[in-house]
Amino acid sequence: MVLTALDQLFAEEQIQVVPGEFHPLGNNGQWIAYPDSEKQISTILQYANEHGLKVVPMGGGTKRGFGGTEEQADLLLSLSRHRGIVEYSKGDLTITVKAGTTMKEIGDYLKMNKQMLPIDPAWPEFATIGGVVAANDSGPKRLRYGSARDLLIGLRLIYPNGQVIRTGGKVVKNVAGYDMNKLFVGSMGTLAVISELTLKLRPCPAYKSLAILAFPDGDWQAIRSFATAILDSQIEPVSLEVLSPSLNERLHGMREYGLVIAFEDVEKAVQYQVEWLKRHLPKNASLSVLSQDEADLWWDRFARISPKGAHPGSAEDQEIGLKVGSKNLDAIEVVSFCHQLGQELQAEVIVHGGAGHGISRAYVKGEESKLLPFVQAVRSHAESRGGYAVVQHAPLSLRQKVDVWGEKPAYFPLLEGIKRTVDPHSVLNPKRFIGGI
Amino acid sequence: MQAQDALIRELAVIVGTGSVLYREEDLISYECDGYVIHKQPPRAVVFPATTEEVSQVVKLLHRRKIPFIPRGAGTGLSGGAAPLGGEVIISLVKMKKLLHVDWENRLAVVQPGFVNLKLTNSVASKGYYYAPDPSSQYACTIGGNVAENAGGAHCLKYGVTTNHVLGMELVLANGEIVEIGGVPDAPGYDLMGLLTGSEGTLAIVTKITVRILKNPEDKKTVLAYFDSVEDASHAVSDIIAIGIVPAALEMMDKTAIEGVEAGNYPVGHPPGLQALLLIEVDGISAGIEDQIEEILKVCKQRNVIQVKVAENEQERAQWWANRKTAFPAMGAISPDYLVQDGVIPRSRLPEVLEKVEEISKRSGLRIANVFHAGDGNLHPLILFDARKPGETELAARVGSEVLKVCADVGGSITGEHGVGIEKQEEMRFIFTEEEIQAQTQIRSVFNPENLLNPDKLFPKPSRCAEVRKAVGHL
Repeated sequence: MVLTALDQLFAEEQIQVVPGEFHPLGNNGQWIAYPDSEKQISTILQYANEHGLKVVPMGGGTKRGFGGTEEQADLLLSLSRHRGIVEYSKGDLTITVKAGTTMKEIGDYLKMNKQMLPIDPAWPEFATIGGVVAANDSGPKRLRYGSARDLLIGLRLIYPNGQVIRTGGKVVKNVAGYDMNKLFVGSMGTLAVISELTLKLRPCPAYKSLAILAFPDGDWQAIRSFATAILDSQIEPVSLEVLSPSLNERLHGMREYGLVIAFEDVEKAVQYQVEWLKRHLPKNASLSVLSQDEADLWWDRFARISPKGAHPGSAEDQEIGLKVGSKNLDAIEVVSFCHQLGQELQAEVIVHGGAGHGISRAYVKGEESKLLPFVQAVRSHAESRGGYAVVQHAPLSLRQKVDVWGEKPAYFPLLEGIKRTVDPHSVLNPKRFIGGI
Repeated sequence: MQAQDALIRELAVIVGTGSVLYREEDLISYECDGYVIHKQPPRAVVFPATTEEVSQVVKLLHRRKIPFIPRGAGTGLSGGAAPLGGEVIISLVKMKKLLHVDWENRLAVVQPGFVNLKLTNSVASKGYYYAPDPSSQYACTIGGNVAENAGGAHCLKYGVTTNHVLGMELVLANGEIVEIGGVPDAPGYDLMGLLTGSEGTLAIVTKITVRILKNPEDKKTVLAYFDSVEDASHAVSDIIAIGIVPAALEMMDKTAIEGVEAGNYPVGHPPGLQALLLIEVDGISAGIEDQIEEILKVCKQRNVIQVKVAENEQERAQWWANRKTAFPAMGAISPDYLVQDGVIPRSRLPEVLEKVEEISKRSGLRIANVFHAGDGNLHPLILFDARKPGETELAARVGSEVLKVCADVGGSITGEHGVGIEKQEEMRFIFTEEEIQAQTQIRSVFNPENLLNPDKLFPKPSRCAEVRKAVGHL
C-alpha cells in the first residue's frame, strides 16, 4: 500500500481507507487522514509531495460540492481533529484558532467574553474557520463588518512541501512584507493547508434589532429606491439584504420581497434607527421588528437555507448554489432576475443579495435540464453588468458539465504562476479552482 | 553617455521632452522620499500622462533591462520610492484626475496621482468622505497609499487602505495592462489584496476604484490629560475592554507634547503632562452621549488630571491639527528626527513604553512617542542632530532596537509606513528565511527580473540562502 510509510507514523484510526461507494459531490479520497497536529499535517503533505499523491483538504465538509471535477483524489485530509482555541487576547480583540474549529465553537467561546468574530457564514455548527476562509464564505453582515479578508490578520500554513510558513502576524495593523494572508482567502485550498488563523474581533453589540420590510411582488424598483435612500442617509445598517419572495416566505411567512435591515449598536442608537425606518417607510411596504434573542434566532434560521454539502442527512444532489458578485445596488436586480428566472423555468429558487455589498446567492432545486440553463442565464446576466457567477454548490455530475468558475480572466497567467510557485506538483485540490488550477 | 542619451530620447518620444528629467540638478529632489537618511540619484524621471504612456515607458525599460520605480508624492517614510542608484523613476503625479464618482454604489475612481485629501474634499458636498487618512493626506497620493497600504488615525474603526480598495488597473512589469477587482470577491486569488502594500514591487497601479463612506451622523472628541503614561495606557485598554470601538484613539507622551506645543498648531496643553489621549467616537448621534460618559468614567478611574469634550468643530479641528502635525513639529525641538513605526498588541503598551524609555536613556537620544494607541501602532520619534558625527547612525540603530522590542512582544516592524529600504534587515525580526523566500517567490511571478523597484522590502539573502541557491544552479 502506498501509504505504508505513513501508517507507521500515525495511529491506526488516523488514516483509513474510504469505503468504496460513490459520493455524489465528488472531491473524495481513497484514504482519509485525520491529523491532530501541525507536525502530522506537514508529514502527510511532504509525503504526498514526494510521492505524487493528490490531496483534498476538508473542514466540516459543507463545501464538498464547491469546485472540482474529480470524483476522487488519493487522500482526503480532514482537519476535524485539528481544532481548538490557541490563544485569545481579549484586550487586543484578537484570537488565534486551529483551522478545524467550527464557527459555532468560536462564536460560543467569544460570547462568554462579550466579543464576537463578525463573520456570518452558512451552517456555523459544521463550517470550520479554515473552510470559511479558504472558500471565502460570508453573510449579509459583511456590509458593516467586512468579510474574511478584512478580519484575517495572520496564518500558519503548511506548504505542499511540508514547510510551515507564517503570514501576517498577531497584531491588528501590519504592513511588513507582502500581505500574503490575502492569497489564501478564497484560494479553495489550492495553495497550502491552513493550520492556524489569527483574526480580529469586535465587542458584542449592546443591543440588536432586525427590521424586516416586505414589498409586494414585482416591486423591486421600490426596494431599490429605498435601499438607495438608506445608503445615502446616515443610519448605519449592519445588513441591507434583499430576499426573494420564496425566501421571505420560508423565513417569515410572507410571499413578498423582503428587505432585512439589521442594527447593532447601543440601545438608544438602535431604537433611533428603527424609528428612522418607520418614519421613512415606503407606501406599499410593511414592517416588522425583531429584537435581541429574536433577532439572533432569525439569523440562525437564515444560516440554514443553503445546501450543507457533504454533511450526513443532506439529500441535495439536485440542488445548486450560486454566488453572484456585482456592483452593490445591482444585487437587487440579481435577486429579481433569479426569482423571475425560477418562475419561468418552474424551478424552486430562493435568492438573497446585499444591496450595500454586491454579493448575492441563489439556491435552485430541480432537474438538471433546468439547473444548467439557470446557471448560464444568471452568468450572462451578471457578466453583462461587469459581475460574475460562481457555482458554489453542485453535484459532481453537474460540475462536470458547467464551468463552476466561468471564463478565465485576462490576468490568468498570474494566477497560474502563483499556483505553480507555491504548489509546483499540484498536490493540493487539483482542478478545483478557476481555469483548472 | 551615448546609451543614456538614447534612452532619454526614447523616453521623450513616449512622454514628450518636457516630461523627462535627466540633468543632474533636476534629479536632486528625487534622490530620496520622506526617508531622508538614504540618498541616491535616479537615472531619469519620467512623467507619463496616461496608462498607455506608463505601459510604453515600462515596455521600453523592460526591453532595455533598466530598473524602474513608481512614485507618487514622495511622502513615504521608509524609502520605498527612493532610488538605490540608476533607476528610472516613473512619477505618476500627472495622472491626478478624479475620473468618476458613483454615488449610488458609493465608489470613486481615481488616477494614482490624485491626492488623498482631495478625494474627501471632492465628495464632501454630498456628505461623503474617503476613510484612510494618513497624516500626510494633504500631499500624499492614493496610488502611493495603495503601494504602502496606508493607514491613519481613523483606521482603528474604519480599516486601512486595503479595506477600501475595490478595483485597480495595473501596468505589469512587462508593460501589459490588466484590470483586477471591480466587484467583490472576484474569482481567483485576491491579487488586489496582494498588490495593496506591495510597495511598488509587483506592478504599477494606474487607476484605482475606492469605497467612499457617508459621514457619520455625529462625532465627539475627547482630550484627556494624565500625569503617568501607565495610567493613560490602561485607560486605552479599558476603553476597548468595555466594548467601545472609538473612531480614533491617539496618544502622545511628554516629549511629543513638548514638540507639538512648540510647533505651528499649539493647543495650550498644560505644562508638565506625562501623556495625553485624543479620543474620537462617531456614529449615530443618539448613541454617542452614553459612550462619551463611559469614556469619561474610565479616564477618571485611571486618575485623569483633566478631561474635556470638544465644544465645537473648530476646537476639534485644532486638536487634530496639533496631533496630525506632530512629526514636523519635532523640528521645533530637535534639529533632526527619525520616525519609527512599530506595532504591538495594545495590551502590552505600558511594558513596551518602559523599554523604549530605557533605550532612550541608554543611547542618550530623546524619544518622543506619538501613536495610534487604539491599534497598538507606535510612532517613536527619535530626536538627533545630524551635524554631530555618528548620531545619524545611532538614531537608525535606536530605531531598530525599538522595533526589536515590538517584535519580541509579538508585534510587527511596521504598521503603516512600509519596509522600503529602511527596515529590510528588520524583516528578519519577524520572519524566517523560508517565510521571506515564500514572499520573494511571489514577487518573481509578477516581477521575474526584479526590474520593478528592485531590492526593496526584503533583506538581502542570507549566506545560507545564497549557498542553497548556488547549489541549486549546479
